[in-house]
Amino acid sequence: MRTKIKIENLSVFFNYIQALNNVSIQIPENRVTSIIGPSGCGKTSFLRTLNRMNELIHGYRLKGKVIIDDIDINEPDIDVVNLRRLVGMVFQKANLFPKTVYENLAFASKIHGIDDNEDVDDIIEHVCEQAAIWNEIKDRLHENALNLSLGQQQRLCIARALTVEPDILLMDEPASALDPISTAKIEELILELKKKYTIIVVTHNMQQAARISDFTAFLYMGQLVEFDKTTKLFMNPSNKQTEDYITGRFG
Amino acid sequence: MERPIDIQLDKLKRRLIKMSSIVDEQVDNAINCVVNWDLELVKEVENSDKIVDTLDVKNERNCHKIFALNQPVAMDLRVITSALKINSNLERIGDIAVKIVEFCSELTSLPDFYQNLRFPEVADYTRKMIKYSIDAFIGNDHKIARDVLEMENQLDKRIKNEVQLIKEFMEFEKSNIAPGLIFYSIYNELEHLGNHAVNISEEVYFIVKAQSLKHQTLD
Repeated sequence: MRTKIKIENLSVFFNYIQALNNVSIQIPENRVTSIIGPSGCGKTSFLRTLNRMNELIHGYRLKGKVIIDDIDINEPDIDVVNLRRLVGMVFQKANLFPKTVYENLAFASKIHGIDDNEDVDDIIEHVCEQAAIWNEIKDRLHENALNLSLGQQQRLCIARALTVEPDILLMDEPASALDPISTAKIEELILELKKKYTIIVVTHNMQQAARISDFTAFLYMGQLVEFDKTTKLFMNPSNKQTEDYITGRFG
Repeated sequence: MERPIDIQLDKLKRRLIKMSSIVDEQVDNAINCVVNWDLELVKEVENSDKIVDTLDVKNERNCHKIFALNQPVAMDLRVITSALKINSNLERIGDIAVKIVEFCSELTSLPDFYQNLRFPEVADYTRKMIKYSIDAFIGNDHKIARDVLEMENQLDKRIKNEVQLIKEFMEFEKSNIAPGLIFYSIYNELEHLGNHAVNISEEVYFIVKAQSLKHQTLD
């Protein structure tokens, strides 16, 4: 199992608030890694360091290293746009443009210089099949994307993230706003996508983490308390704090 | 802070403790039935078994309910999976107690060769294994659980010696064959009781230490 992302002594600050404290972790390739922990523990900050999204926030500072495929992504010569192409992101709430399904999907390809409409069409069909949504939208490509159900919108966001051929997919609570059936579809999709992508999921839903991830990291107050195989962490965690959290004894 | 699952687990454990005390008494009575030749205990053991069977069904249903409603993990998961197994081991111990008294009631009296057996001693050793395994479960004590595991070899050796003795008596005198076979079966049941005590102890060890001792040779 190859390490895809190597994080060394990562600390993150927002002005005077420290969101992450000396986190070191190695995330394996083509596996699903879940990040769990109570609100405010630094899960999302952690996720957003992986494609430098935190830089958009005022007062952000970072210490330590985030190395993807042997490249330190915080080096000054790194092209951030290209980095975000390689490290795609899906958010808690579907964030489609108020445009047609087709325009949503074609947007990124066109930005990245693919002008040939046939090529764009092929990409759209391919990613929608990967995201298991093609059959549902192939006859609705020219409808407003916001008319789709929430579950469909979220899968469309995943399909859109795939149009630029990322290596890594970051998912921040991808199913928290969805009903159980749509959640199950997203979870099935995650398991399917890991064959090709390295996936990191932030979730509050511990059963979801247990169901879909190969590895789980438990963060608490900005510190990495435990990182292990999901089966080990949920059956016999090494740390008392982890046990208290996953069994609901916290607080 | 008490979680909803704590209340359910507490109730489950209390029921299992109640079941184990009934089962413990059943074993006591079954052994006393032989040792004191007291056939009045047959009915008592059989009647208790109905209560044990009812508790078995209730406990199993309770475990399923806790699974369905709480999706337990870590220690909670171990407690419930082990509770299910301990429950069925206790139920089996109850059945064995019934078998022993039934074997006993097939005899008209204790055979002459009984005086040469060490039945009270071996039965008492088995009874201790059951008691210790229950104590380990009640007190979540992995050390007692391990002690029970270490007792198993000794029990097997003692039973083997006894069975050898019975064989010799059966060869020596034809009239010993029928009671000999009954005592052979009773010793077999004692061995099974020991196995169930070991099973319960393995579960206790698993709950506390999260390690399985199954099919391992103890040093």
